[in-house]
Amino acid sequence: MAKILLVDDDPDLVEAVTIILESKNYDVIAAYGGIEGLEKAKKENPDLIVLDVMMPDKDGYEVCKELKADPEYSKIPILLLTAVASRISTTRYTQQMGLETEADDYIDKPVEPKVLVERIETLLGKQK
Amino acid sequence: MTQKEKEILVIDDENVMREGCKRILAKDGWKIYLCENGEQGLEVVNEKGLSLDVILLDLMMPGISGMEVLEKLNEMGIPHNVIVITGYATVDLAVEAMKKGAYDFISKPFTPDQLRLVVNRAFEKRELEREAERLKQEREKSLRDIATEKSRIKTIINCMGDGVLVTNNQCLPVLINPVAQRIFGIKEEDILDKSLSNLISENELINMVKEVLQGSKKNIFSISKELSFSSQPGNIYRAHTAAVKDESDEIIGAVTVIQDITKMKELDRMKDEFVAMVSHELRAPVAAIEQHISVILEGMVGQLNEQQTKMLKRVKERTKGLLDLVKDLLDLSKIEAGLVVQYKEPLKLKDIIGKVIDILNPQAEAKNITLDFKEEEELPEIIADKSNMEEVFMNLVSNAIKYTNEGGKVEVILAKDGKYAKIEVADTGIGIPKDELPKIFEKFYRVKTEKTRAIVGTGLGLSIVKKIIEAHFGSITVKSEENKGTTFTILLPFRPEG
Repeated sequence: MAKILLVDDDPDLVEAVTIILESKNYDVIAAYGGIEGLEKAKKENPDLIVLDVMMPDKDGYEVCKELKADPEYSKIPILLLTAVASRISTTRYTQQMGLETEADDYIDKPVEPKVLVERIETLLGKQK
Repeated sequence: MTQKEKEILVIDDENVMREGCKRILAKDGWKIYLCENGEQGLEVVNEKGLSLDVILLDLMMPGISGMEVLEKLNEMGIPHNVIVITGYATVDLAVEAMKKGAYDFISKPFTPDQLRLVVNRAFEKRELEREAERLKQEREKSLRDIATEKSRIKTIINCMGDGVLVTNNQCLPVLINPVAQRIFGIKEEDILDKSLSNLISENELINMVKEVLQGSKKNIFSISKELSFSSQPGNIYRAHTAAVKDESDEIIGAVTVIQDITKMKELDRMKDEFVAMVSHELRAPVAAIEQHISVILEGMVGQLNEQQTKMLKRVKERTKGLLDLVKDLLDLSKIEAGLVVQYKEPLKLKDIIGKVIDILNPQAEAKNITLDFKEEEELPEIIADKSNMEEVFMNLVSNAIKYTNEGGKVEVILAKDGKYAKIEVADTGIGIPKDELPKIFEKFYRVKTEKTRAIVGTGLGLSIVKKIIEAHFGSITVKSEENKGTTFTILLPFRPEG
């Protein structure tokens, strides 16, 4: 089964998302910060990374940038977990996101379990 | 002005004459003073002064003569209105009296009509004098008022904490107040006969003024921008430029008010940081809660019974509402920071509302609600900020859909109301209870009834709408009947013509 690295500094969120992913029999590895996430990505070489944006030690954009710059890991699909701050800025934020990051997809927190699973399946090329 | 009683003084030594005059004049409403010699007469004049309208004066009297009384009156400097009574065939005396300032004469014997004629003529003359005096005083007063007003405006402009820069339509400065002089590092004496670009080197500001002066072509009447000036590095200013028009609507100049907003910007930045921090701190736990609920609801940690599912769904709705509230709070804080009216431009309401209707149509269709938009006639443009207007109608129309039951109707009607565009957003929804109506534009106010329980909202939408409308010199009112529907009516001024 595919191995997914889940990076978020909120342990409760990690727990909930882990349950969602495990219910679909994914192999989940958790990391609780940007630096730990980067280390585990390199060590475990997962099939996909679910990556939170706002983290205190190293944010998701930076982690994403570093991985995508490294030819050894640049192929790993990355799904960004975003927390949009305001309604008015939603579109602007989304546009910026698409332009400035090399993430493969993004999804707003909190996530609907079905939507999350769909996006992951798409990224893993296992569309139903 | 209340009508003053007509007053006449009769000075004559003959009792018959005095009583005769009294009898004739009393019928015409005169107040009459009778004196039998010159001394007495002068006393009355002294006492009554200007309120005496006419003096009837006999020239031939024992004691001091009428002629002497005239001389005394002249000495006293009281403007008088004397009719001398002369004996038969003494025209020479009458002429002399006129030379001494008498207004008219009447020779004895005279008929009542002759007396009335001459007395009334003297009275009319007196009235005209009074009117002339009043007009003269009024004119002096208005001249004084204008001078005071000029000096007041000058003082206000010079005392203002903001910079004021006024140019004529050739872009030549006609007034730069001390604050503006300090901002640009120029002196009063430098201003004369210099073009704005020779005086200051702030191109962005000069362009603002020029843009406003060319307003009739580009239809922009006021521009507001944040600027920094090379003469004041590190400071941030907000410049607001508006056109001055004459009575035929020609642009004759531009007024620019420049406000130092350095401190405000700093506070604003701190507030933004604070709000960003708080919103993240608020969002994170709520997002985690909602995430857990989603997992439970999916049955991923054990099956739920019907009651549990129902309640948890409700909990999820509420946490979603909480997240929306954080978003609205951020929006409101932006609006309150004065970011509402950024750039006013001519807009067609039809385009704005049409776009909003397109976006919201799927929502209405999902509830089987008819969403209609009508423009009754081709309307002039309004001057407004585009994104603000979109926000207003997004809010109102989506509210109308939210509070209308399945199968209902939401209608937007655009019409003309004098100098205003009238936009009505009407629904056939659940309505608003009468006593709640005055409060719905307040921040965080939501009508709480059994019917609204299932609708999640933040209570900020309408207060955002109202703030935007008011910043555009418009108004918003609401009419509603419970279970019948609600109509919001917005008035927004059309672009001034020309």
